[in-house]
Amino acid sequence: MTFFLQVVINAISIGSLYALAALGIGLLFGVMRLINFAHASYITIGAYTIIVPSTAALATLYIGNWHWALMTAAVCAIVIVLAVCTEFIVFRPLRHADPATLLVGSFALSFSLYYLLLLIHGGRPKAVDIGRGLIEHIAIGGLTIPRIDVVTIGITVTLLVALGLFLKKTRYGIEMRAASEDFRMARLLGVRANRVISIAFAISGLLAAAVSLLYLSRVGVLFPRMGIPLVIIAFVATVIGGMGSLFGAALGGFFVGAVSVVLQTILPLGLRAHRDAIVYILVIAILLWRPEGLIQVRAVKERV
Amino acid sequence: MLAVSDLEVRYGRMAAVRGIKLDVGAGEIVCMVGPNGAGKSTTMLTIAGELTPHAGTIRFEDKPLTGTSVENVVRRGISLVPEGRRIFGRLTVEENLRLATFIRKNAREAASDLERIMEQFPILQERRHAPAGRLSGGEQQILAIARTLLTKPKLMLVDEPALGLAPMMVQLVHEILTELRSEGMTLLVVEQSLERALALADRIYVLRDGQVQLTGPTDELRDGEQIEAAYFGFQMQGAAP
Amino acid sequence: MTAQSTVLKAIRSTWPVLSLALLLLVIVLAISAFGGTGLQRNATEALIRIVVVIGLYIFIGNSGVMSFGSIAFMAVGAYASAWQTCCPRLKPYNMTGLPDFLKHNTFDVFTAALSSATLAAIFAFAVGYPIMRLSGISASIATLAVLAIINVTYANWDTVTLGTNSVIGLPGYVDMWVALGCSVLAMSVAFIYQETKMGKALRAASQDEVAAKAVGINVPHQRLVAWVLSAFFVALGGVLYAHFVTVITVNVFYLDMTFITLAMLVVGGMKSLAGAVMGVVVLSAVIEVFRNLEKGIEIFDIGVRLPVSSQEVALGVIMVLILILRPAGIMGGKEIYWPFPTSK
Repeated sequence: MTFFLQVVINAISIGSLYALAALGIGLLFGVMRLINFAHASYITIGAYTIIVPSTAALATLYIGNWHWALMTAAVCAIVIVLAVCTEFIVFRPLRHADPATLLVGSFALSFSLYYLLLLIHGGRPKAVDIGRGLIEHIAIGGLTIPRIDVVTIGITVTLLVALGLFLKKTRYGIEMRAASEDFRMARLLGVRANRVISIAFAISGLLAAAVSLLYLSRVGVLFPRMGIPLVIIAFVATVIGGMGSLFGAALGGFFVGAVSVVLQTILPLGLRAHRDAIVYILVIAILLWRPEGLIQVRAVKERV
Repeated sequence: MLAVSDLEVRYGRMAAVRGIKLDVGAGEIVCMVGPNGAGKSTTMLTIAGELTPHAGTIRFEDKPLTGTSVENVVRRGISLVPEGRRIFGRLTVEENLRLATFIRKNAREAASDLERIMEQFPILQERRHAPAGRLSGGEQQILAIARTLLTKPKLMLVDEPALGLAPMMVQLVHEILTELRSEGMTLLVVEQSLERALALADRIYVLRDGQVQLTGPTDELRDGEQIEAAYFGFQMQGAAP
Repeated sequence: MTAQSTVLKAIRSTWPVLSLALLLLVIVLAISAFGGTGLQRNATEALIRIVVVIGLYIFIGNSGVMSFGSIAFMAVGAYASAWQTCCPRLKPYNMTGLPDFLKHNTFDVFTAALSSATLAAIFAFAVGYPIMRLSGISASIATLAVLAIINVTYANWDTVTLGTNSVIGLPGYVDMWVALGCSVLAMSVAFIYQETKMGKALRAASQDEVAAKAVGINVPHQRLVAWVLSAFFVALGGVLYAHFVTVITVNVFYLDMTFITLAMLVVGGMKSLAGAVMGVVVLSAVIEVFRNLEKGIEIFDIGVRLPVSSQEVALGVIMVLILILRPAGIMGGKEIYWPFPTSK
């Protein structure tokens, strides 16, 4: 029973991580129909900012050495600035292009940033030691849970609530929701396109920074491809969750993450390596069952 | 109030609108009427700032308006109610209305305007917290108009208000527009139906093939044959410019 | 009609393909005359990519649905050809999972190529049948899932693919001319397809699905046709790649390859055959230039040498610039038509 509960908590924790990643992708998709592959770069670069730039195999902590609150704030700030800059330089000129162009543009950006990182840091994985306290287990009601799981779930819930309040109660949140639904009409009511999009990128950057730090604490290693598996899953999750629905994106991410963990536990040893394949087969199955995703958003469906 | 001259708007290399001259005076309802593809919506979208003209000028309150971006056109006092209502279905009725008040400089005045609108249109008060997507077609059209009113425009552009509505709702919408005019609002309306345009407007511009074929006060044109000829494109003798 | 005007008419109507084929022929001739082995190898690689990208184009360009998973077929094709043609002495020992007729036999390269591409096409039919029913973005994600599934399966199927180890010792029969021939073949088939009723029906559906259905076009069916044809050529590209590099590894046929081929297609202009070809030509030229800059060249007696990885950064930047300046791609979705007015 305890084992079962521990697996459940781990599943919720990983699910939360993927939900955050999916939210970052889903937000930009909702507002500008952009699937931002550069989100992987935001996550990776966010993680790499804690060390001194060098191609040495042994990483020297710089920001990583600061007090955890300061470090978190610094990483968040850097990634937010990065995200907003990429919007200004790459995505604003492409604003009226079709989705395929936007997609390849975001990929080309991600490609460039990846190799730029390689240029500066080299390709070898580097071990880093941050959040040492998070690996410890804490005892809650007879269970021993890794602190990182509790922190991940806690931060995810906090961010979700904050985002929800922002979207529901604040002026810019309402503008963003309106713009996601009908960008043109929002502009006709005076909503400033550039501002809404910049804010969306900033929030996306914040979410990326959160994922970055949580993931890094978990794996303890920096490697240039860090962000990519997270974003692929986030991308997939957003679609099965239902495009155009932020709640759906989070749900999709959570679902894929949780199922991955559960499968890892219950699959017989021989099949465990194929876990990812099975997850993807499930994804196809879900798409065949509910092509518009788990949460159907009426605004996105075409009316005939 | 609004002066459009020599307007030319192109889609690619094709001119959708050529040499359009249009004036709207304060406090009147002017209608652009014409068959599909005449250029009425194109003209309206250009005034609203969504399209950039290839040639020509637009002046509003004696100041140039040509080339102003959409968001700024609204701030100058021109609001467009586009074709098809386009309310935000996933936002509540109240959120739809609040969105329009964000550009207002005086927040308190805007808030009280919002309450007044709710009183003026009880159906909106009733469904205040419901997602706007649940309203019926006619209710949505009322919401769209109410929402645009909250931007406190000096000139309202309305693109095909009757589209997709039952005759009873069309009548209601026309009543609302006329009521607005009597309260001092200036309106430029696009209509496809000659009958409805004649019923609503003070002055009419008949457009066809991207040009103004005929214009004049409704009273003068109503009983003539000229207007039908202009609309349908028969050969006319001695037509008014 | 005279024989001369018939020929002229034939040239005019096939000009979109003919022009591209002639362009490539000229380039290949120039390189074989003046280029060193390095340049010839890179040109061969580019020509192989043309086959793959044309394969992608056959589906993506005609259906309007983005496929992230087509490179799965490149893997299927490459490995299938490897099973048939490589290492006859080692095969029975390290690829124990292969069926006997493969373990103990070696086939000629032509049969291997044809059968491998066909196998991929059959596989494409099987996965495409359910997927083509899905709407645009869902279908795209489903194709990504297919790629992931193949990748994971092949990476773990030690007895058949050697898992994450490379399969070496494949016969390397692919040179510039073989690759050129296959490119021209791919181009021709793609062109013929898009001029048939099926190709046009699919294009119509890509522009307005509802209207297409209303005139009786069976959209999933047409998409499936394009998908299978596309898989055949992507797989052929995989076969060519395998027998060019003579070494294959599972991870070669995954995200990097997917992205570079998709990028070449979109940058060239995904709605036309000329776009597919020119995208590869232009970006391959860029890659070549930067490859040399990284190796170090002399400009006016000054040695210029860029740090490693800068060629990819430059490539990414150039792709973004091209997309900003020409969002519809270099060719803007248009084919190369006969430029002279037809006399009538």
